Amino acid sequence: RTGEALRAFHTAIRSNPGNTRNQAMKEQAQGTMLKVLTSFKSSEIEQAVNSLDRNGVDLLMKYIYKGFEKPTENSSAILLQWHEKALAVGGLGSIVRVLTARKTV
Amino acid sequence: MAYHSFLLEPISCHAWNKDRTQIALCPNNHEVHIYRKDGAKWSKIHELKEHNGQVTGIDWAPESNRLVTCGTDRNAYVWTLKGNVWKPTLVILRINRAARCVKWSPKENKFAVGSGSRLISICYFEQENDWWVCKHIKKPIRSTVLSLDWHPNNVLLAAGSCDFKCRIFSAYIKEVEERPSPTPWGNKMPFGELMFESSSSCGWVHSICFSASGSRVAWVSHDSTLCLADAGRKMGVATLCTETLPLLAVTFITENSLVAAGHDCCPMLFTYEESQGALTFGGKLDVPKQSSQRGLTARERFQNLDKKASSDTANATLDTLHKNSISQISVLVGGKDKCSQFCTTGMDGGMSIWDVKSLESALKDLKIK
Repeated sequence: RTGEALRAFHTAIRSNPGNTRNQAMKEQAQGTMLKVLTSFKSSEIEQAVNSLDRNGVDLLMKYIYKGFEKPTENSSAILLQWHEKALAVGGLGSIVRVLTARKTV
Repeated sequence: MAYHSFLLEPISCHAWNKDRTQIALCPNNHEVHIYRKDGAKWSKIHELKEHNGQVTGIDWAPESNRLVTCGTDRNAYVWTLKGNVWKPTLVILRINRAARCVKWSPKENKFAVGSGSRLISICYFEQENDWWVCKHIKKPIRSTVLSLDWHPNNVLLAAGSCDFKCRIFSAYIKEVEERPSPTPWGNKMPFGELMFESSSSCGWVHSICFSASGSRVAWVSHDSTLCLADAGRKMGVATLCTETLPLLAVTFITENSLVAAGHDCCPMLFTYEESQGALTFGGKLDVPKQSSQRGLTARERFQNLDKKASSDTANATLDTLHKNSISQISVLVGGKDKCSQFCTTGMDGGMSIWDVKSLESALKDLKIK
Protein backbone atom coordinates (compact mmCIF):
# COMPACT_ATOMS: atom_id res chain seq x y z
CA ARG A 1 0.00 0.00 0.00
CA THR A 2 2.85 2.28 0.92
CA GLY A 3 4.62 1.47 -2.28
CA GLU A 4 1.61 2.38 -4.37
CA ALA A 5 1.17 5.78 -2.76
CA LEU A 6 4.85 6.54 -3.29
CA ARG A 7 4.70 5.45 -6.94
CA ALA A 8 1.60 7.54 -7.52
CA PHE A 9 3.40 10.48 -5.92
CA HIS A 10 6.40 10.20 -8.20
CA THR A 11 4.25 9.79 -11.25
CA ALA A 12 2.23 12.88 -10.35
CA ILE A 13 5.43 14.88 -9.87
CA ARG A 14 6.91 13.66 -13.15
CA SER A 15 3.79 14.28 -15.19
CA ASN A 16 3.66 17.94 -14.25
CA PRO A 17 2.40 19.65 -17.43
CA GLY A 18 5.25 22.18 -17.21
CA ASN A 19 5.01 25.25 -19.33
CA THR A 20 1.41 25.09 -20.42
CA ARG A 21 -1.25 27.78 -20.61
CA ASN A 22 -4.05 25.26 -20.78
CA GLN A 23 -5.99 25.98 -17.60
CA ALA A 24 -7.97 22.72 -17.77
CA MET A 25 -4.76 20.69 -17.91
CA LYS A 26 -3.34 22.59 -14.95
CA GLU A 27 -6.48 22.04 -12.88
CA GLN A 28 -6.48 18.36 -13.68
CA ALA A 29 -2.86 18.06 -12.57
CA GLN A 30 -3.65 19.99 -9.38
CA GLY A 31 -6.59 17.74 -8.61
CA THR A 32 -4.58 14.57 -9.18
CA MET A 33 -1.75 15.87 -7.03
CA LEU A 34 -4.11 16.82 -4.23
CA LYS A 35 -5.63 13.33 -4.26
CA VAL A 36 -2.20 11.74 -4.05
CA LEU A 37 -1.06 14.04 -1.25
CA THR A 38 -4.15 13.48 0.86
CA SER A 39 -3.92 9.72 0.45
CA PHE A 40 -0.63 9.56 2.33
CA LYS A 41 -0.37 8.53 5.97
CA SER A 42 1.43 11.08 8.17
CA SER A 43 4.29 8.69 8.85
CA GLU A 44 5.01 8.17 5.15
CA ILE A 45 5.33 11.83 4.19
CA GLU A 46 8.93 12.30 5.26
CA GLN A 47 10.18 9.37 3.19
CA ALA A 48 8.35 10.66 0.12
CA VAL A 49 9.83 14.15 0.47
CA ASN A 50 13.34 12.78 0.95
CA SER A 51 13.08 10.86 -2.30
CA LEU A 52 12.81 14.07 -4.32
CA ASP A 53 15.58 16.16 -5.83
CA ARG A 54 15.84 19.94 -5.46
CA ASN A 55 13.53 20.69 -8.41
CA GLY A 56 11.05 18.12 -7.16
CA VAL A 57 10.89 19.78 -3.74
CA ASP A 58 10.29 23.17 -5.36
CA LEU A 59 7.52 21.68 -7.48
CA LEU A 60 5.96 19.94 -4.47
CA MET A 61 5.97 23.24 -2.57
CA LYS A 62 4.12 24.90 -5.47
CA TYR A 63 1.47 22.18 -5.40
CA ILE A 64 1.14 22.46 -1.62
CA TYR A 65 0.45 26.18 -1.80
CA LYS A 66 -1.95 25.61 -4.69
CA GLY A 67 -3.73 23.11 -2.47
CA PHE A 68 -3.94 25.72 0.29
CA GLU A 69 -5.64 28.08 -2.13
CA LYS A 70 -8.61 25.77 -2.59
CA PRO A 71 -9.16 23.99 0.71
CA THR A 72 -11.45 20.99 0.91
CA GLU A 73 -12.78 19.04 3.92
CA ASN A 74 -9.59 17.64 5.34
CA SER A 75 -6.99 18.80 2.90
CA SER A 76 -5.41 21.58 4.94
CA ALA A 77 -4.36 19.35 7.82
CA ILE A 78 -2.47 16.89 5.68
CA LEU A 79 -1.10 19.68 3.49
CA LEU A 80 0.33 21.38 6.57
CA GLN A 81 2.19 18.19 7.42
CA TRP A 82 3.52 18.01 3.87
CA HIS A 83 4.53 21.66 4.18
CA GLU A 84 6.49 21.01 7.36
CA LYS A 85 8.46 18.16 5.80
CA ALA A 86 9.05 19.97 2.52
CA LEU A 87 10.23 23.07 4.40
CA ALA A 88 12.75 21.00 6.33
CA VAL A 89 14.30 19.85 3.05
CA GLY A 90 13.81 22.87 0.79
CA GLY A 91 14.27 25.64 3.32
CA LEU A 92 12.80 29.12 3.06
CA GLY A 93 14.26 29.39 -0.43
CA SER A 94 11.71 26.92 -1.78
CA ILE A 95 8.87 29.09 -0.45
CA VAL A 96 10.48 32.21 -1.96
CA ARG A 97 10.58 30.41 -5.31
CA VAL A 98 6.84 29.64 -5.04
CA LEU A 99 6.21 33.36 -4.56
CA THR A 100 8.48 34.55 -7.37
CA ALA A 101 7.73 31.85 -9.92
CA ARG A 102 6.31 33.09 -13.22
CA LYS A 103 5.12 29.64 -14.26
CA THR A 104 2.59 28.42 -11.72
CA VAL A 105 1.46 24.85 -11.40
CA MET B 1 35.14 39.47 13.34
CA ALA B 2 34.97 43.16 14.04
CA TYR B 3 31.48 44.64 14.17
CA HIS B 4 30.86 48.36 14.47
CA SER B 5 27.43 49.89 14.78
CA PHE B 6 27.45 53.20 12.94
CA LEU B 7 23.79 54.08 13.02
CA LEU B 8 20.38 52.91 14.05
CA GLU B 9 19.18 53.32 10.46
CA PRO B 10 20.19 51.26 7.45
CA ILE B 11 23.45 52.01 5.71
CA SER B 12 22.27 52.57 2.13
CA CYS B 13 25.68 52.06 0.55
CA HIS B 14 29.37 52.33 1.40
CA ALA B 15 32.80 52.60 -0.19
CA TRP B 16 36.34 52.34 1.17
CA ASN B 17 39.35 54.45 0.31
CA LYS B 18 42.55 52.88 -1.02
CA ASP B 19 44.31 52.09 2.27
CA ARG B 20 41.08 51.18 4.05
CA THR B 21 41.45 53.85 6.70
CA GLN B 22 38.35 55.76 5.66
CA ILE B 23 34.84 54.64 4.81
CA ALA B 24 32.23 56.74 3.01
CA LEU B 25 28.64 55.74 3.69
CA CYS B 26 25.13 57.03 3.26
CA PRO B 27 23.14 57.01 6.52
CA ASN B 28 19.80 56.52 4.76
CA ASN B 29 19.41 60.20 3.87
CA HIS B 30 20.62 62.75 1.33
CA GLU B 31 24.16 62.94 2.67
CA VAL B 32 27.40 61.02 2.54
CA HIS B 33 29.41 60.74 5.74
CA ILE B 34 33.09 59.86 5.74
CA TYR B 35 34.50 58.18 8.83
CA ARG B 36 38.16 57.67 9.64
CA LYS B 37 39.56 54.87 11.73
CA ASP B 38 41.16 56.16 14.93
CA GLY B 39 42.54 53.12 16.64
CA ALA B 40 39.52 51.10 17.61
CA LYS B 41 37.06 53.92 17.09
CA TRP B 42 35.56 55.55 14.02
CA SER B 43 35.29 59.33 13.90
CA LYS B 44 33.29 61.29 11.36
CA ILE B 45 35.55 63.65 9.43
CA HIS B 46 33.42 64.81 6.50
CA GLU B 47 29.80 65.34 5.62
CA LEU B 48 29.07 65.62 1.92
CA LYS B 49 25.79 67.44 1.33
CA GLU B 50 24.80 68.03 -2.24
CA HIS B 51 22.21 65.47 -3.20
CA ASN B 52 18.49 66.25 -3.01
CA GLY B 53 17.45 62.66 -2.72
CA GLN B 54 18.69 59.55 -0.99
CA VAL B 55 22.18 58.53 -2.04
CA THR B 56 21.87 55.08 -3.57
CA GLY B 57 25.42 54.40 -4.69
CA ILE B 58 28.95 55.43 -3.69
CA ASP B 59 32.23 54.37 -5.24
CA TRP B 60 35.73 55.48 -4.22
CA ALA B 61 38.41 55.37 -6.89
CA PRO B 62 41.54 54.05 -5.14
CA GLU B 63 44.23 55.60 -7.35
CA SER B 64 42.80 59.01 -8.17
CA ASN B 65 41.08 59.32 -4.76
CA ARG B 66 37.84 60.59 -6.23
CA LEU B 67 34.38 59.72 -5.00
CA VAL B 68 31.38 59.29 -7.24
CA THR B 69 27.90 59.28 -5.73
CA CYS B 70 24.49 58.86 -7.31
CA GLY B 71 21.05 59.32 -5.85
CA THR B 72 17.31 59.28 -6.26
CA ASP B 73 17.49 62.93 -7.33
CA ARG B 74 18.56 61.60 -10.77
CA ASN B 75 22.03 63.14 -10.38
CA ALA B 76 25.58 61.95 -9.93
CA TYR B 77 28.44 63.94 -8.44
CA VAL B 78 32.17 63.37 -8.76
CA TRP B 79 33.92 64.57 -5.59
CA THR B 80 37.59 65.60 -5.49
CA LEU B 81 39.48 66.33 -2.31
CA LYS B 82 40.89 69.88 -2.36
CA GLY B 83 42.87 70.50 0.77
CA ASN B 84 40.56 69.21 3.45
CA VAL B 85 37.28 69.72 1.63
CA TRP B 86 35.49 67.49 -0.85
CA LYS B 87 34.32 69.53 -3.84
CA PRO B 88 31.47 68.14 -5.96
CA THR B 89 31.13 68.30 -9.73
CA LEU B 90 27.69 67.64 -11.14
CA VAL B 91 27.41 65.03 -13.89
CA ILE B 92 24.35 65.30 -16.12
CA LEU B 93 23.09 61.77 -16.52
CA ARG B 94 20.09 62.61 -18.71
CA ILE B 95 17.85 60.18 -16.85
CA ASN B 96 14.30 60.75 -15.72
CA ARG B 97 14.22 58.23 -12.88
CA ALA B 98 16.34 57.59 -9.82
CA ALA B 99 19.94 56.44 -10.18
CA ARG B 100 20.47 53.14 -8.34
CA CYS B 101 24.11 52.13 -8.52
CA VAL B 102 27.45 53.54 -9.63
CA LYS B 103 30.88 52.02 -10.27
CA TRP B 104 34.23 53.45 -11.34
CA SER B 105 35.90 51.51 -14.11
CA PRO B 106 39.20 49.78 -13.20
CA LYS B 107 41.29 52.52 -14.88
CA GLU B 108 39.10 55.21 -13.27
CA ASN B 109 38.68 57.14 -16.51
CA LYS B 110 34.95 56.49 -16.65
CA PHE B 111 32.11 55.33 -14.47
CA ALA B 112 28.77 53.63 -15.04
CA VAL B 113 25.44 54.50 -13.43
CA GLY B 114 22.45 52.16 -13.41
CA SER B 115 19.03 53.75 -13.05
CA GLY B 116 15.30 53.28 -12.99
CA SER B 117 15.14 54.77 -16.48
CA ARG B 118 16.01 51.30 -17.77
CA LEU B 119 19.38 52.34 -19.06
CA ILE B 120 23.02 52.58 -18.07
CA SER B 121 24.85 55.91 -18.30
CA ILE B 122 28.55 55.59 -19.09
CA CYS B 123 30.25 58.85 -18.09
CA TYR B 124 33.70 60.02 -19.07
CA PHE B 125 35.57 63.31 -18.76
CA GLU B 126 35.79 65.45 -21.89
CA GLN B 127 39.01 67.44 -21.64
CA GLU B 128 38.16 70.25 -24.13
CA ASN B 129 34.92 71.26 -22.43
CA ASP B 130 36.13 70.40 -18.96
CA TRP B 131 33.05 68.49 -17.97
CA TRP B 132 31.68 64.97 -17.69
CA VAL B 133 29.75 63.62 -20.67
CA CYS B 134 27.59 60.53 -20.72
CA LYS B 135 26.51 57.94 -23.26
CA HIS B 136 23.54 55.64 -22.79
CA ILE B 137 23.19 51.90 -23.15
CA LYS B 138 19.48 51.19 -23.58
CA LYS B 139 18.75 48.08 -25.59
CA PRO B 140 17.57 45.56 -24.59
CA ILE B 141 17.14 46.54 -20.92
CA ARG B 142 13.49 46.38 -19.92
CA SER B 143 13.57 47.46 -16.27
CA THR B 144 15.60 49.16 -13.52
CA VAL B 145 19.31 48.37 -13.46
CA LEU B 146 20.08 47.39 -9.87
CA SER B 147 23.75 46.45 -9.97
CA LEU B 148 26.87 46.91 -12.06
CA ASP B 149 30.38 45.50 -12.17
CA TRP B 150 33.29 46.18 -14.53
CA HIS B 151 35.46 43.58 -16.23
CA PRO B 152 39.21 44.08 -15.56
CA ASN B 153 39.72 45.12 -19.20
CA ASN B 154 37.92 48.41 -18.48
CA VAL B 155 35.52 47.86 -21.38
CA LEU B 156 33.03 45.15 -20.50
CA LEU B 157 30.32 45.92 -17.96
CA ALA B 158 27.99 43.44 -16.30
CA ALA B 159 24.54 44.70 -15.36
CA GLY B 160 21.88 43.04 -13.22
CA SER B 161 18.38 44.30 -13.71
CA CYS B 162 14.80 44.02 -12.45
CA ASP B 163 13.77 42.32 -15.70
CA PHE B 164 15.34 39.17 -14.16
CA LYS B 165 18.37 39.15 -16.45
CA CYS B 166 22.12 39.51 -16.11
CA ARG B 167 23.76 41.09 -19.14
CA ILE B 168 27.29 41.93 -20.21
CA PHE B 169 27.66 45.02 -22.40
CA SER B 170 30.58 46.69 -24.03
CA ALA B 171 31.14 50.19 -22.65
CA TYR B 172 34.00 51.00 -24.99
CA ILE B 173 34.52 54.77 -25.25
CA LYS B 174 36.86 55.54 -28.12
CA GLU B 175 37.65 59.01 -26.74
CA VAL B 176 39.37 57.69 -23.65
CA GLU B 177 40.84 54.33 -24.53
CA GLU B 178 42.37 52.00 -27.08
CA ARG B 179 40.40 49.32 -28.84
CA PRO B 180 40.20 46.30 -26.50
CA SER B 181 41.70 42.95 -27.39
CA PRO B 182 39.42 39.91 -27.75
CA THR B 183 38.13 38.27 -24.58
CA PRO B 184 36.37 34.96 -23.89
CA TRP B 185 33.12 36.96 -23.98
CA GLY B 186 33.55 38.00 -27.59
CA ASN B 187 35.81 39.68 -30.12
CA LYS B 188 33.98 42.71 -31.43
CA MET B 189 33.07 45.20 -28.74
CA PRO B 190 31.53 48.39 -30.15
CA PHE B 191 29.82 50.61 -27.60
CA GLY B 192 26.55 49.15 -26.34
CA GLU B 193 27.12 45.69 -27.83
CA LEU B 194 25.38 42.92 -25.87
CA MET B 195 28.00 40.24 -25.25
CA PHE B 196 25.97 37.96 -22.99
CA GLU B 197 22.46 37.74 -21.67
CA SER B 198 21.25 35.17 -19.15
CA SER B 199 18.04 33.26 -19.67
CA SER B 200 15.35 34.33 -17.26
CA SER B 201 15.58 33.36 -13.68
CA CYS B 202 12.53 34.57 -11.83
CA GLY B 203 13.83 37.29 -9.59
CA TRP B 204 15.27 40.78 -9.67
CA VAL B 205 19.03 40.57 -9.96
CA HIS B 206 20.23 42.29 -6.80
CA SER B 207 23.96 42.03 -7.19
CA ILE B 208 26.45 41.01 -9.81
CA CYS B 209 30.20 40.41 -9.73
CA PHE B 210 32.97 39.57 -12.20
CA SER B 211 35.71 37.22 -11.03
CA ALA B 212 39.24 38.62 -10.78
CA SER B 213 40.17 37.27 -14.21
CA GLY B 214 36.92 38.45 -15.75
CA SER B 215 36.11 35.10 -17.31
CA ARG B 216 33.31 34.39 -14.81
CA VAL B 217 30.38 36.46 -13.68
CA ALA B 218 28.11 35.61 -10.74
CA TRP B 219 24.79 37.12 -9.72
CA VAL B 220 22.18 36.68 -7.02
CA SER B 221 18.51 37.16 -7.64
CA HIS B 222 15.34 37.53 -5.64
CA ASP B 223 14.09 34.00 -6.23
CA SER B 224 16.76 32.78 -3.79
CA THR B 225 19.14 31.61 -6.48
CA LEU B 226 22.81 32.17 -7.14
CA CYS B 227 24.00 31.87 -10.75
CA LEU B 228 27.40 31.86 -12.38
CA ALA B 229 28.21 32.19 -16.07
CA ASP B 230 31.58 30.84 -17.16
CA ALA B 231 33.01 32.17 -20.41
CA GLY B 232 35.53 29.35 -20.32
CA ARG B 233 32.67 26.85 -20.64
CA LYS B 234 31.02 28.55 -23.60
CA MET B 235 29.10 30.92 -21.29
CA GLY B 236 27.37 28.00 -19.60
CA VAL B 237 25.31 29.07 -16.61
CA ALA B 238 25.37 27.16 -13.32
CA THR B 239 22.41 27.80 -11.05
CA LEU B 240 22.03 26.99 -7.39
CA CYS B 241 18.61 27.18 -5.73
CA THR B 242 19.47 28.10 -2.17
CA GLU B 243 17.54 27.17 0.95
CA THR B 244 17.86 30.65 2.34
CA LEU B 245 15.99 33.89 1.96
CA PRO B 246 17.03 35.92 -1.10
CA LEU B 247 20.63 37.11 -1.20
CA LEU B 248 21.34 40.78 -1.80
CA ALA B 249 25.08 40.96 -2.34
CA VAL B 250 27.74 38.69 -3.81
CA THR B 251 31.46 38.84 -4.42
CA PHE B 252 34.23 36.51 -5.52
CA ILE B 253 36.94 35.87 -2.93
CA THR B 254 38.96 33.48 -5.07
CA GLU B 255 38.45 32.41 -8.65
CA ASN B 256 36.29 29.49 -7.44
CA SER B 257 34.74 30.75 -4.22
CA LEU B 258 32.04 33.29 -3.60
CA VAL B 259 30.68 34.96 -0.52
CA ALA B 260 27.08 36.11 -0.64
CA ALA B 261 24.76 37.60 1.98
CA GLY B 262 21.25 38.91 2.14
CA HIS B 263 18.02 38.75 4.07
CA ASP B 264 19.29 35.94 6.30
CA CYS B 265 21.70 38.47 7.87
CA CYS B 266 24.61 36.10 7.50
CA PRO B 267 27.38 35.80 4.88
CA MET B 268 27.64 32.40 3.24
CA LEU B 269 30.28 30.62 1.24
CA PHE B 270 29.61 29.07 -2.17
CA THR B 271 32.01 27.07 -4.30
CA TYR B 272 32.13 26.68 -8.07
CA GLU B 273 33.32 23.34 -9.40
CA GLU B 274 34.67 24.07 -12.87
CA SER B 275 34.91 20.47 -14.03
CA GLN B 276 31.22 19.84 -13.42
CA GLY B 277 30.06 23.39 -13.96
CA ALA B 278 28.17 23.30 -10.68
CA LEU B 279 27.72 25.58 -7.69
CA THR B 280 27.53 24.20 -4.17
CA PHE B 281 26.74 25.71 -0.79
CA GLY B 282 29.84 25.82 1.37
CA GLY B 283 28.40 26.86 4.71
CA LYS B 284 27.36 29.85 6.77
CA LEU B 285 30.20 32.10 7.82
CA ASP B 286 28.54 33.54 10.91
CA VAL B 287 28.32 30.73 13.38
CA PRO B 288 27.65 32.20 16.79
CA LYS B 289 29.35 30.68 19.79
CA GLN B 290 27.00 28.24 21.46
CA SER B 291 25.49 30.09 24.38
CA SER B 292 25.02 27.87 27.37
CA GLN B 293 21.73 26.08 27.08
CA ARG B 294 19.99 26.66 30.34
CA GLY B 295 17.12 24.30 30.82
CA LEU B 296 13.56 25.55 30.57
CA THR B 297 11.51 25.46 33.70
CA ALA B 298 8.18 23.69 33.47
CA ARG B 299 6.43 27.05 33.66
CA GLU B 300 8.38 28.42 30.71
CA ARG B 301 7.69 25.30 28.74
CA PHE B 302 3.94 25.64 29.22
CA GLN B 303 4.13 29.33 28.42
CA ASN B 304 5.89 28.50 25.17
CA LEU B 305 3.25 25.93 24.31
CA ASP B 306 0.52 28.40 25.07
CA LYS B 307 1.98 31.39 23.23
CA LYS B 308 3.75 29.78 20.30
CA ALA B 309 2.21 26.30 20.15
CA SER B 310 5.68 24.82 20.10
CA SER B 311 7.97 23.30 22.66
CA ASP B 312 10.94 24.59 20.70
CA THR B 313 13.66 26.00 22.92
CA ALA B 314 15.13 28.09 20.12
CA ASN B 315 15.79 31.72 20.86
CA ALA B 316 13.55 34.32 19.31
CA THR B 317 16.41 36.76 18.79
CA LEU B 318 18.93 36.59 15.94
CA ASP B 319 22.24 35.00 16.79
CA THR B 320 24.10 36.52 13.85
CA LEU B 321 26.39 39.56 14.04
CA HIS B 322 24.15 41.63 11.81
CA LYS B 323 20.68 42.05 13.23
CA ASN B 324 19.08 42.90 9.93
CA SER B 325 19.60 42.15 6.24
CA ILE B 326 23.07 42.60 4.79
CA SER B 327 22.83 44.81 1.72
CA GLN B 328 26.42 45.19 0.51
CA ILE B 329 29.69 43.25 0.56
CA SER B 330 33.05 44.77 -0.38
CA VAL B 331 36.49 43.20 -0.66
CA LEU B 332 39.00 44.93 1.60
CA VAL B 333 42.30 43.11 1.28
CA GLY B 334 43.59 40.77 -1.36
CA GLY B 335 41.40 41.57 -4.34
CA LYS B 336 38.80 39.23 -5.78
CA ASP B 337 41.27 36.42 -6.41
CA LYS B 338 42.95 36.15 -2.98
CA CYS B 339 40.60 37.96 -0.66
CA SER B 340 41.73 37.82 2.96
CA GLN B 341 39.31 40.39 4.39
CA PHE B 342 35.88 41.54 3.33
CA CYS B 343 33.35 43.93 4.78
CA THR B 344 29.56 43.78 5.05
CA THR B 345 27.08 46.59 5.77
CA GLY B 346 23.44 46.18 6.40
CA MET B 347 20.06 47.54 7.28
CA ASP B 348 20.89 47.40 10.97
CA GLY B 349 23.30 50.32 10.47
CA GLY B 350 26.27 48.13 11.28
CA MET B 351 29.50 47.38 9.47
CA SER B 352 31.36 44.14 9.96
CA ILE B 353 34.86 43.16 8.85
CA TRP B 354 35.45 39.45 8.24
CA ASP B 355 38.85 37.81 8.19
CA VAL B 356 39.05 34.80 5.88
CA LYS B 357 41.92 33.08 7.72
CA SER B 358 40.10 33.30 11.07
CA LEU B 359 36.95 31.94 9.47
CA GLU B 360 38.85 29.02 8.01
CA SER B 361 40.32 28.09 11.37
CA ALA B 362 37.10 28.69 13.31
CA LEU B 363 34.79 26.74 11.02
CA LYS B 364 36.53 23.45 10.41
CA ASP B 365 34.34 22.28 7.54
CA LEU B 366 34.98 25.38 5.49
CA LYS B 367 36.89 24.73 2.29
CA ILE B 368 37.84 27.78 0.30
CA LYS B 369 39.30 26.72 -3.06
